[in-house]
Amino acid sequence: MERARISRQPAHLLLASEFGSATLHEKGSGEYDPSFVITKLGAKVNRVVAAGLLERLELRETTNGSTLYQGQLRDPTGLHYFSVGDYNSETLRELSHQWLERIDDGEPLLLMMTAKTRWYQTDEGAVYTSLRPEEACVVSREVYANWLLDACESTHERMTAYTASLEVEPTVDAYRRANLSVSLLSARQHYGDIDLEPFKLNLMQSLDIAEGRMEAATTPPPMMSLPDGDAAVANDGTSTPLSDYLLQAIGHLDQGEGVDFETVIKNAIAKGHVREAAEASIETLLESERIVEARFGWFSVAPSD
Amino acid sequence: MADEKYADYVKAVQKECPEADAQEVAEAFAKYEEEFYIPPQDAMRSVLRRFKSGTGPTPQSSSTTSARVTKKVASLSELNGEDRDIEIEVAIITHNVRDQTIRGEEKQIAFGMLEDNPWEENGQRTRWDYKDWGPHANLASGSIVRIEGASVNEYNGKMSLNINQSTRIVVLKEGVATLASSNDPLDIADIPADGYICVVGRVLSSRPDQIHRKDGSGSIDVVRGRLADGTGSIGFLSWEPFEHEVGALLKIDGAQVRSFRNTPELNFGRTTRIEVFHDASFADVDTLSNEASLTISALTDGLRDVDATVQITDIMKRTFDRNGEEGFLWSGQIADPTGRCRISIWDNLPFKESDLPVTVSIRGARVRAWQGIPDITVDEGHQLTVLEVPPWDESMDLSELSVEVPLPEVVGGASRVGLKTDGIVVSVRDDSGIIHRCTECRRVLREGACFDHGANPGEEDIRLRLVMDQSGATAALLVNKEASLTVLGLDEPGLKGIVEEHGGLGFVQHVRGLLLGRRVVVSGRSIVDDQGAMILADACETRVEDAQMKASELRTLWGWA
Repeated sequence: MERARISRQPAHLLLASEFGSATLHEKGSGEYDPSFVITKLGAKVNRVVAAGLLERLELRETTNGSTLYQGQLRDPTGLHYFSVGDYNSETLRELSHQWLERIDDGEPLLLMMTAKTRWYQTDEGAVYTSLRPEEACVVSREVYANWLLDACESTHERMTAYTASLEVEPTVDAYRRANLSVSLLSARQHYGDIDLEPFKLNLMQSLDIAEGRMEAATTPPPMMSLPDGDAAVANDGTSTPLSDYLLQAIGHLDQGEGVDFETVIKNAIAKGHVREAAEASIETLLESERIVEARFGWFSVAPSD
Repeated sequence: MADEKYADYVKAVQKECPEADAQEVAEAFAKYEEEFYIPPQDAMRSVLRRFKSGTGPTPQSSSTTSARVTKKVASLSELNGEDRDIEIEVAIITHNVRDQTIRGEEKQIAFGMLEDNPWEENGQRTRWDYKDWGPHANLASGSIVRIEGASVNEYNGKMSLNINQSTRIVVLKEGVATLASSNDPLDIADIPADGYICVVGRVLSSRPDQIHRKDGSGSIDVVRGRLADGTGSIGFLSWEPFEHEVGALLKIDGAQVRSFRNTPELNFGRTTRIEVFHDASFADVDTLSNEASLTISALTDGLRDVDATVQITDIMKRTFDRNGEEGFLWSGQIADPTGRCRISIWDNLPFKESDLPVTVSIRGARVRAWQGIPDITVDEGHQLTVLEVPPWDESMDLSELSVEVPLPEVVGGASRVGLKTDGIVVSVRDDSGIIHRCTECRRVLREGACFDHGANPGEEDIRLRLVMDQSGATAALLVNKEASLTVLGLDEPGLKGIVEEHGGLGFVQHVRGLLLGRRVVVSGRSIVDDQGAMILADACETRVEDAQMKASELRTLWGWA
């Protein structure tokens, strides 16, 4: 009887940016109730099908002596973080081992994986999501392109539902009548109004790539934020990609009390910036009064005049 | 050539790795782009890593939280099947009293529906059934009460609340039965799987019947029949005398919907109010009977008084011996444009076997399901009328028909044969590949033994056990030998070669490389039960789209062209 109620959770096709920007978690009260991450577009996911370039894979020893493979998977919209541990099948650990050697040799690998979603909150309140792969394999670029298109389609469906929800009274009944998911209502209540433009840009970029229109999909190189780089921190307080990112991240993460220093830095590192540069850039932003330190170690975007 | 195109990127890489060779860096970018569809900005980190060991962020360690269920709860969703002695504030939606014989003693009990979250207006509310074994005199419909010391009952995954004799009921707000919900007639198509409802419909059929008590203590006279409106039809069972004739238009308030097997049915009891309804524009019996005729795709286990028009594509006489008396039945396959299923006829056929395929109209049949496949049971030959011409395009070959059904419909519907559906393969199970089946029952052997028949030499077979998902629906997928070999592009020796070389799990990983994350189109039959949906596929192919075409198609569709 108990077993019959726990049915398999369907997998969602999610691009990294949608999953990575999710902070809402939902879990029933029962011990065996599945746990879900609810994205800004209202997808309620316990399991995903993700694909992309295996950008990094490292073997780590944990404090209790077990081993953990930690890696990141890049699709056109961003990164998925995943880990493979002793709880995973022998097959998956063996594969991780092989892949680790292959990418250490500089061999590009495109991976497809089905994975469970994880949601984690630090003591400071920062929220992270990551993936725990269940099954994975190496795929060709044709398969990757097909997956990208399917993922774009399913993202677009959620964007359409989101737009439709703007006209609907925010109650469960009204959402049901309008054929919208209740998880979208939870998302709306948690995230407030969101801007669909970044999602649209993500899809356009993904379509270009799936189509093989690589010139269109290519953007100028990011300013690699080197600690000693002359372009990394503009001392006169004008924009750099890093400072822009920091401003955006602080504005975004700020729930009213400001954002703590570590969270800002961690996010910047996750986006490929270097810690020292990010720290320096925060200093610069403070000096140019574009951000304020409301209390020690907590930052908010300065009110514009 | 390549180094020119990637000049900016090469420079960026060299800034971090001054010793890197420009040519090599450019070639690396070209490889990512051309072979893997990874544009330079996305390949940047990987290329950098290759030329210099980089540092990256590390995902966080694990943490688990577990919630403890408290006995005092605010909403029903916080309860689980084992909870005893709980306290909650609810609104009583309906309250009915009935007599029941418990251990030989005539006793009154009350039952109905209650709703949590009674104070918040327009809040989210959950509705459960309850049974009051007290019964408590202060429980009345429309009131808001605090229930102290009730227990949760879970049956077949459905939760309800047991209010025991020792339970304390504190009335917080006196009942004014303002909830008129049961007085608004529902369309038959919208009738829920359970609950109390009001409905207006015309009687399509009605016949007296008897229900025999399982303990042999006698039988109850009941009336069975079918009721229809413009949106559909539903079977009914009246526990009280029911004398309305076929064709009567009735308003029925307080009918209880109960699901028998997979099929909702209306129950009329002592508290049900039935009155003749007047509406000149309401469809007449003939129109409704025609509309109430069901297609094969709509058949569910437990349906009664079914009318349908089908083609019999195959039929076979079977004889059996029951208590020394010989009996027979005709068993066969039927089809209509929505699908295929089985038929059993317990009487002489009104046509010759050699006439097949024959189109017949069936009246008043019942539906049983065997292994999830609906089987229309016809008790008497006069229920069948042979039609000269089928009501659909005569040239359709129904015997090989595969009806395309989206996966969510397969999962949400009844078991059926002859379906075709598509989805993404999300799992390749480790027991895919070469298996051994019991020679007696075809069940898969575990460690050389059958669950029912013990140790068994077994017969070798090949199958794939997958999971496919589509639009939030999930189904187990079993692919038979022939279809497995086809989708893998292997013959039997080829497959065995891989298993021998890489082992069983190595073979499974090989299959993942071919199928995981891929879209497949499968045809076969489905079995849907409490455990979920399973598709038994006799054909399976991967669908690879032309990415360029599909991308421009999507752009046009979304108005981004």
